[in-house]
Formats: sequence, C-alpha cells, structure tokens
Amino acid sequence: MDRSRKYLDDIRELLAGDDYTIVGKNVQRVDGLEKVTGRARYTADLLIENALVVRPVWSRCPHALIKEIDKSAALRVAGVECVITSADIRGENQCGYYIDDQPFLATDKVRHAGDIVALVVARDEAAAWAGADAVVVAYEQLPAVFEPKAALQGDFGIHGQKSPGDVKIRKGDVDKAFAECDVIVERSYQVGSQDHAYIEPEAALAIPEGLHDVTVISTNQNPFRTRSVVARVLGRPQSEVKIITPYLGGGFGGKDTYGPVISTIAAVATEHTGRPAYVIFTRHESFAYRYKRCAFEIRYKSGATKDGKLKAIDVDYTCDCGGYATHVFGLMKRAAYHGTGVYDVPNCRITGVAVYTNNVPVAAFNGFGNPQMGFAIESQIDLLAEKLGMDPLEFRLNNALVPGSRTGTGQVLDHSVGIKELLEKVSERAEWPAKRQRKPTGQTGEKKRGIGIGCSWHGCGTTGLKHDWAGASVILNRDGSVNYCTGIVEIGQGTITSHAMMVAETLGIPYEWVKVDGNDTSRMPDSGETHAQRGTFIGGTAAVDAALKLRERLNALAADILGRRGNENEIVIHDGIVARRDDPGRKITFKDLVTAMYENGLSPAEYGFIKARRGYPDPDTGQGIPYAAYTFGCTIAEVEVDVGTGEIEVLNLYPGVAAGKIIQPEVVRGQVNGCGMLGVGYALTERVTLEKGNMVNGSFGDYMIPTIMDIPKLEPYVSVEDEYKYSAFGAKGVGEIALISTPLAIANAVYDATGVRFYSLPLNAEKVYFGLREALA
Amino acid sequence: MTIEVRPLPPFDYVAPGSLAEAVNLLTEHGASAKLLAGGTDLLLRMKKRKSNPGILIDLNRIGDLSFVAMRDNALHIGAGTRLAVLYDSTVIRDKAAALADAIHVMSSPGIRNRATIGGNLCNASRCADTPAPLFALDACVKLLGAEGERNVPIASFFTAPGNGRGKTVLRADEVMTEIIIPLQAGNSTFLKLGRRKGSSTSIISAAAFAVMANGRFKQVRIAVSAFGSTPIRSKKVEMALTDAPVDEKTIKQASALIKDEIKPITDYRASAAYRTDMAAVLIERAVTRLAAGRS
Amino acid sequence: MLVSFRLNGELVERQVVANQTLLDLLRDDFAMLSVKKGCDEGQCGACTVLVDGKTMCACLLLAVQMQGTAITTLEGLDKSGDLSVIQQAFLDKYGFQCGFCTPGMILATKALLDRNPDPTTEIIKEALEGNLCRCTGYQQIIESVSRAAEIMRAESGARARA
Repeated sequence: MDRSRKYLDDIRELLAGDDYTIVGKNVQRVDGLEKVTGRARYTADLLIENALVVRPVWSRCPHALIKEIDKSAALRVAGVECVITSADIRGENQCGYYIDDQPFLATDKVRHAGDIVALVVARDEAAAWAGADAVVVAYEQLPAVFEPKAALQGDFGIHGQKSPGDVKIRKGDVDKAFAECDVIVERSYQVGSQDHAYIEPEAALAIPEGLHDVTVISTNQNPFRTRSVVARVLGRPQSEVKIITPYLGGGFGGKDTYGPVISTIAAVATEHTGRPAYVIFTRHESFAYRYKRCAFEIRYKSGATKDGKLKAIDVDYTCDCGGYATHVFGLMKRAAYHGTGVYDVPNCRITGVAVYTNNVPVAAFNGFGNPQMGFAIESQIDLLAEKLGMDPLEFRLNNALVPGSRTGTGQVLDHSVGIKELLEKVSERAEWPAKRQRKPTGQTGEKKRGIGIGCSWHGCGTTGLKHDWAGASVILNRDGSVNYCTGIVEIGQGTITSHAMMVAETLGIPYEWVKVDGNDTSRMPDSGETHAQRGTFIGGTAAVDAALKLRERLNALAADILGRRGNENEIVIHDGIVARRDDPGRKITFKDLVTAMYENGLSPAEYGFIKARRGYPDPDTGQGIPYAAYTFGCTIAEVEVDVGTGEIEVLNLYPGVAAGKIIQPEVVRGQVNGCGMLGVGYALTERVTLEKGNMVNGSFGDYMIPTIMDIPKLEPYVSVEDEYKYSAFGAKGVGEIALISTPLAIANAVYDATGVRFYSLPLNAEKVYFGLREALA
Repeated sequence: MTIEVRPLPPFDYVAPGSLAEAVNLLTEHGASAKLLAGGTDLLLRMKKRKSNPGILIDLNRIGDLSFVAMRDNALHIGAGTRLAVLYDSTVIRDKAAALADAIHVMSSPGIRNRATIGGNLCNASRCADTPAPLFALDACVKLLGAEGERNVPIASFFTAPGNGRGKTVLRADEVMTEIIIPLQAGNSTFLKLGRRKGSSTSIISAAAFAVMANGRFKQVRIAVSAFGSTPIRSKKVEMALTDAPVDEKTIKQASALIKDEIKPITDYRASAAYRTDMAAVLIERAVTRLAAGRS
Repeated sequence: MLVSFRLNGELVERQVVANQTLLDLLRDDFAMLSVKKGCDEGQCGACTVLVDGKTMCACLLLAVQMQGTAITTLEGLDKSGDLSVIQQAFLDKYGFQCGFCTPGMILATKALLDRNPDPTTEIIKEALEGNLCRCTGYQQIIESVSRAAEIMRAESGARARA
C-alpha cells in the first residue's frame, strides 16, 4: 500500500474525457428501491423462528455494590431457559471501548443506571420480561456523584482513579502572548448531553453455526470492532465470529459505541444455550440506558491584538464520561486537537480531563467533542470581535486557516483548506453585511431577530488512539458485473452508493454494474469503523485502491489485446467499452476484457487496503498530525426570539461545507440538512434530563427532537470543493460537519437579537426567558 | 425516572353494541373494567403498567357516540367523536373557536384520527388540552350510568390532578356520552405553551372567552390548565376585565393577576416560576387576540 | 377471537388475543415488515398504517379492533409491480436516508394527497407532523411530497382530457 499515492491524480489520468461520468452526479441510491418499497431489512426484521428472547436485568441504581444476585425465582418462571451473570462468562468479561475499565456484565458493583447485571434468556417475550422482573439483586447503595467538579473534589471510588485520562496541547508561549494582547476574554461554558434518538432501536440476533461459530446480525457501526469484542467475551478466536450488519435505521455514533454491547448480549445468550437468540431494546431502554453525547464544562480564555489577530488561547475543560470511559478519549482528544477553531492561533495551552461520575456513559455522536468545544470557540470569537469593534465575519476572515497554516497541534495544512473561501461565499449567500446593518440598536416588540455565524472543522478519520486503516474487496465477473464489499455500514448517509459510484468510475463501467454486497466481516478485510467522517474519505479510498489495482491490470491486458502493448495509459474505458485513446475504433467490451483476464490467469479480484496519513500527537504537547485532512463548515443562522416566552425560532440556516469533491450532491444536501436539524435540536430543545443518574424524560414525547414543523428555511449548501490529493476523487468526509456549526451560529444569532449572551446549551425557552429578564433588569 | 414501557399484559376484551350494554358491563365488572375509546392514552398507560384492567370495554362499536349537532341552542358533541373530525368541523370552528384552536395544536394527525374528545376529558391528564376551552365556553358533560343520565358542568367534572390520569366525578358505572356547549355571542380562543413548534405536551395553556361592546369587556371567562392542578377559571382576571376598557394596559395588568391565583408545579418539563409567568403571558396574548377580532 | 379485515386489498382472517397490537400482528403474522416499531408509544410514527384511508399508529391499535376495516401498509402500494407515484417521487427526490421512517412518511403522504391534491408546504408539514425523522432534516421529504402531488395532478389532468 502506497500511502503517498495521489489517488486524485491517478484517477484523473484514466479519464476518457475532462469530467467524471458518475462521480459528482446524482444517481439512484443502491438502497433506494428497497427503502421506498418497504423491502429494506433492518436487524429486527431478520428474526428467525424459535429464536430465544434475551432481556437485560438493568441496574437502576447509579452506584452500588452487588451483594447477591438471586436467580432462583427467575429460573422458576415458565419459559425461562437460563439467567446469565458475570460468573458465567467464558471468555473475558470486558467490553471497554479504549481501555479495559468496563465489565460486560457487572461483577462486584454497578456504576451507572443502565449497567447490565444479568441476562435472562427465555422462550418468548412474556417469559423473558417476567424472568427479568423475578431476578432479585441485593444492592448496597454507595454515595453517587453526578457532577464532574464534585467527583474530582470528593472521594467516590467509582474506579481506582478519578479520571481515565487527559489530553494536553502545548504550543508556543501562552503567558508571554497574553501579555502582548490588547484584548482578552475569558468565560466559562457548559454544554449538555444529547440523545441520538434514531428511530430504529438497538437490536441484535445471534445464530450458532457448526460447533463453535457464532454469527451476529446487529445494529452496529463497527463490524470488526464488534467482532473483536464478541470474540473476546466468548473466549473464541475472531475467525469463529461473523458480524453481519444490515441497513441501520440511524446511528449518529450511538450504534458505534453501543454496537459491540448489543451484539455481545445476543452472542452470549446463543453461546450459553446453543440456540439462536435476539435482543431488541425498547425505546425507553434506548433513552434511559444507552450512552449519550458527552457533557463538557469549559473555561476558555483567548486574546488578540488590536489589529484583529488572535494570539493565544488558554483552555481547561472537563468531560463527564459517566460510569465508564467508553468513547471519552476520542472525543476529548478531538476537542483538544480542534480547540483553536478554524483559526491560526500561534500560542495554545489546552488541557482536557475526563472525569468518572455515576451518569450514563458517553457515546460517539456527530461532532464528537467539536460541537461542545465549538460553542466556546465561536462565542469567544464573537466576544473578541465585539471588544475590538470588528465585524464578526471580518475577524474570522482575518484569522482563518489558509494553505500553509499551522494548526494548534503544529500540523501544516499544505492544501485542501477551503474555510476562507467558504466564509466569503456563505456570508454572501446569507447577505451578511446588509442584514447586520439593518439591525437597529434596539428592536421593539416582543419578537427580536438576529443573525450569527458559526464555523467548524472536523478532521476526517478516527482520532489518533488506534491505527486507522480500511479494507475493501472488488471482484470482476465474466459477464461484466462487479461484486463490491465494504465493512463501512450504510446508516442512511449513502456511503455505499458513493463507493459503488467511485468503483464504477475507476473501472470505466456503468454505475449499475456494481453490486454492493451485504456487510459481512468474513468477506473483506477490516474497513474500520463507520464514524469520524471516514466512510468515503478512508473507506472509499480503499474501494478505489482495489479498483485502481484492477484497472491497471485491465489496462495492461487491453493494451496487449488492442495492439498497444506497454502503453497502458493509452487505454480508456468508458461506459463499459474499452478502446484505444488514439484509435477509438479499436475496442472490446469490458465483459470480454474481464473474460480475457480469467483466460489469461490474471486475478479478477483485489482487496484494497489503506492506512490514513496521520500519526499520534505527543501525549504531553499534543503536537503532531492527528488527522490526514480536515473538512470545514460554516453556517449562518437567522433567529427570532420571543422575549415574552423565551422561545427561539430559527428562521433561516445558510450552511456551507468545504469537503473536497462532493460525490453525491443531493445526498450531501440531505446530510447537511439532517445534521443541521440535529444541531438545531442540540441548540434549543433537546435536554437529557437526569435525576440522580436516571433519565426522567426518556420518551419521544418528552425528549424534544425537531419535528417537521420545527424546521427553518434550509438553504441549499454552499460547497467549496477543496480537493484532498490523497483520497479517492479528492473527497473528504461530510457526515458530521454541518451539525457542529449550527448551534454555534444560533447562539451567536441569539446574542445579536437580544444583546444577551448565554453560556450554556441548550437554549430552552425557560432558560432564555429568565436569562433575558435577569440581564435586562 | 421515566416509567418503563413494555408489551401489553393480558386482559379480557368485549365490544358492546349499545350504550346500555356498556353500562351493564361496567356495573358488572366494576373497578376491574376500563372503557376503551381511542386507546391512545389508555393503551399507553397499560404498557407502562400504570393501569391494569382485567377487562377492556371497547366503545368503538357503539354508533351513536360520534356526532356534532346543533339543537336546543347548544352544540352537542358525542363523547366518542374523533379529534380529527372536530379538527375538520366548520361548526366547531364557528361556534367553539377555543376548542377548535386547541384541537389544532393537539398531538398529531395519526393520534387525532383515533383519539376522542371524551377520552381526553375522562383521562383527565393534567396536560390535556380540551378542558380549558370547555371551561371558557361554560360547557357541561352528560354522563350515563346504571342510575340514568346526569349533566355535570365542566367546572365540576375534574376533582383532582394526577400524574397521567387524574380524578373526575365519573363513577365506575358511568360513560360520558356528550359534551354540550351553549351557543353564545362572543369570541373565544386558546393558546398553549409546548416545548417545540411541533406536537408537544403543554406545560401551561389558557383559554379565553369574551363579549365586547362599546370598547369594553362585557363578559369574560378565563381558564388555565396544564400547570399541575385541575383546570381553573381565573376569578381574579375575569373580575379585573369585566366592564373594563379593551386596551393594552388593562389587559396586561389584569392578566398578571393570574400569578396570585395559581400554584403550578415544578417538574422536569418546567419550573413553577416559569409556568406562573407564562400563564400571564398566555392570558394576555389570548385576550389581546380576541380584542383584535381574532385577526 | 377471530378477526377479519382487508389487508392491502386482500380479505384475511386471523385468531388473535386481546393484548396483541395491530403492529405485532402485521409484523409477526403477516410479515408486513415495513411497519416499524420505533417506540411502541405512538410518538414516532414509524408504525403508521392507513385504516380506512386514515393514518393511525398501529402500536396503539388492538388487532381485534380491526374487524371489518381496510388496512394499507407500504407493501400495498406497489402490488402491481410498478412503483406508485409517491414511491417514485421519494426515490427521485431523495426523500429518505436510513429509510426507517420512510414507510410511515409515504403512507402519511398518501393519506394527504388522497384528500388534498394540491397541498401547500404548510399543509404538508401538518400532515406529516406525527412522523419523526432524524436523518433528513425533512426538507427533501417535503420536496418528495410536492413532487408526488405534481405528478398526480398531471396524471389526473391527462386522464380527464383523454
């Protein structure tokens, strides 16, 4: 694998014409027909007859010792097959995402509401529910803590240490730089949790095969990681575990962190009984016990000189990771690596600390630390701009990263840095200068309007705690059709369609000839997780890696057949016809060429395998290259605040992305809109309300996600195609970026509307109402 | 802690063909029976194990529970009338505007196609939206039991709030059959405060009815609900507005008096202080809308 | 208890127990797997079916209550083998991403357009208010509905002229 391969250039050389035939156009999605006919099959649609039902026995205590688990009454319930506890685990009872701090089934204590104490396996639903109710767990309650500050100050003994880890960025000389600043702003920010609230609840079905093998069909975003956790807990080699991942009904990161857990629940039940077994969470369980976005508390100090140049930032933040570390390392570090915002900040001191509490643990969620940190960053930018008497747009343009800039981790971004152009284009689309000027110094009446900007960036690829590789498989059939396999999961984001398009474009055949096979870990090498905006950026590059290898072989053979031996570059393949560039009359069909491969003993199959072009930042200074490339985002929001009630209505969203080449423009519009609405919910109405570690608003009726009535005017997105040389077609990721900038823009717009700045999210009506009254009193 | 939701438990089921049969069944089964109309509240409560009837008596086969009719100088609405029917009804829009306003912001189309106005009242959830308009319109409800029919003014119907199902004067053997709204001159409206623009449980709601003449309020009824107690009529606000001039200052001052009259609860949805302030805001906006001729 | 009703046009009959919801009956007994269990509480709309042409949440209906009704699920829209106009519109205008809310959205669209062939954006939103979507931000769903309405009006106009 050649990490310096310039996939973008290599593909361009192969093209028949100047433009792509498929990539960049809108095609019918590979999953489209299934989804509009209701034939698409999700995990809970694939249950088999006579499968046993698994019900977890949940801890509702946030912190307690387990004195005894009495299974006897449960085992007497008619239809109950067995009750599994940690003592019954045959492999290692461990499912921690980054560190081994998390037993799969609770052993001596429970650390959050939602810790699983036992699994009841029964013949049918009624027996399983009755059995779970009949398990008696004797707890000795321990003092519980729900605030990171209190957790750090007290001695709650959740784990051996109070914090599973921290992250540091140290660049330049922060104190010296502050001394030279003309304006300094320092504030504290709080950002709350958020539930993914995807419409499909978690589910898994496990099926025994042969003597020891287990196949698990489940709602996960990481088939190979899931396989390794299942294998570990079962005590079997990975080769005996197969994970099949059907279409997901939404994920957003929640099924990334929880995927291995739900899968292992079913797998353990199957292993114990030798029979198929399934688990499906209720919506209540999905809300109450499944891991959520991490809540941050941030103290952010930033300074600039009077010419409008950022000079220094000093940031401390805590991440409430709840009872287990799960995904906190990734999001905590990502927030630090992006902690400057999209700006050139020469001096940085950032320290992030994860803190154990007895809240429900954290999951990946679009943005992964960047919305939280971004709220502080973009508020600070507006505050500094105001102090300097500068337009917030001007101040941003003055400091934006450009090709050649060094990030807060000291990474030089030599190309694919489209933020400045993006800011200019989005602000033009939103008519920023005119709308800023029309705002009088004091709006009368109860409805006040305002406009605000939020910028974001998001490094593409898994945050540097493990290597970031991806595999894919392409097989050419003699009839010209192609079987393509990837471990990237189709969650709705349309990535497998992008892969099919890119493979078809690379091979020179119609898009319809590429069949995307089911996601099955036994069919191709590890593609890594479906998260971190890497599905197309890295997963898709693996697809093209495979396709390019085949294309080279095809070209060489075709050159031979068509009388241009040794001149592979002289072969063009377009729409399934292989021809000589210099003499297009000399041609054969793709199908015949593939047949010739077989007949010549040339392999018609390839695995692609690539590794992301990044390293591991230094643990003490954070300096290094955490991501190969960054997608940039910018949103301008117009809001109307009802001062009488505190309700905020978002009137318009003007989004923009600099995500390199856009593979499917309309699909990306859907991503931008969807992420935008996730951001609106996060900014305004979604509050994970915990009382003593238990979620009190765990239903769609009480956890307020935006309905169709709640959408603003969603403008089409501005796209700056700042292509990245080392990825397929120059595409970067685009699946998360629009969520990040949206709440930041809304918060700034609320300030513009009311003259009152809020330092915590969400901005629910009650908070805004009392905040405005207090400030204006 | 959110109440768990699980599959429905087993129960007996019967679908009588007449009201008389339904009353007999209620008398026979007593406390172990529950009436099933739309089911959108009851079935959910049963999934939460907050309600555990031994037998459900399904009212949906009884034909004469769904109607909207004008007679005897009143609007008669069958208790089994679906909210969706009331949503589309021009009669309701013309003669009981506050009720129409409420139904237009209640729930969602799929629920409205099933839920009934009688069910919404008898469940007496403290967040229900049909009570306040009926208070403001001075409605009454007709109940049919083993001992015959009786009319109960809506203001006496609710006896105690509940978390979920509240208490009413409905006896174990009774079925609500009708809601009766007197035809009256004047205008009415309803406003609720939810937690998003789309369908949302009310954290407070208010209904207003007013007759105005010569720039003055002649007759005013103000109702507030969803704040934690049973719905109320606001005597203080009504007194302050009666015979008072129809102007911004009067309306604002009068509306503020609600703050002395209600003691809302604090829960995870909203605080008592917010509900109190918003009660005044909603009343002010509702009355202002009436004053402006509902433009 | 025996219950009989029309399912996607076909008369069917089943023995049911009282506590069986229509949602579970459709999925378990009839393999109408397009009807999804998103919350089982009537709050997400993923289990939306048409009962006598009206949208309802199947999770809050008892199977036994469906006696004599006509029920439509998404599977019923393309029984001919061709996509219905609404399905084609959702496909062409990207009115879906993960697809889990899509059956409910399409049925709610059908209920709307059968009543109102020329709905405004506001009316479309009101008709789909009970169907939650977490992926699309709703915009392309609204465009799909408008597109379907446009095609249906054109087709009925062509038929009228023929």
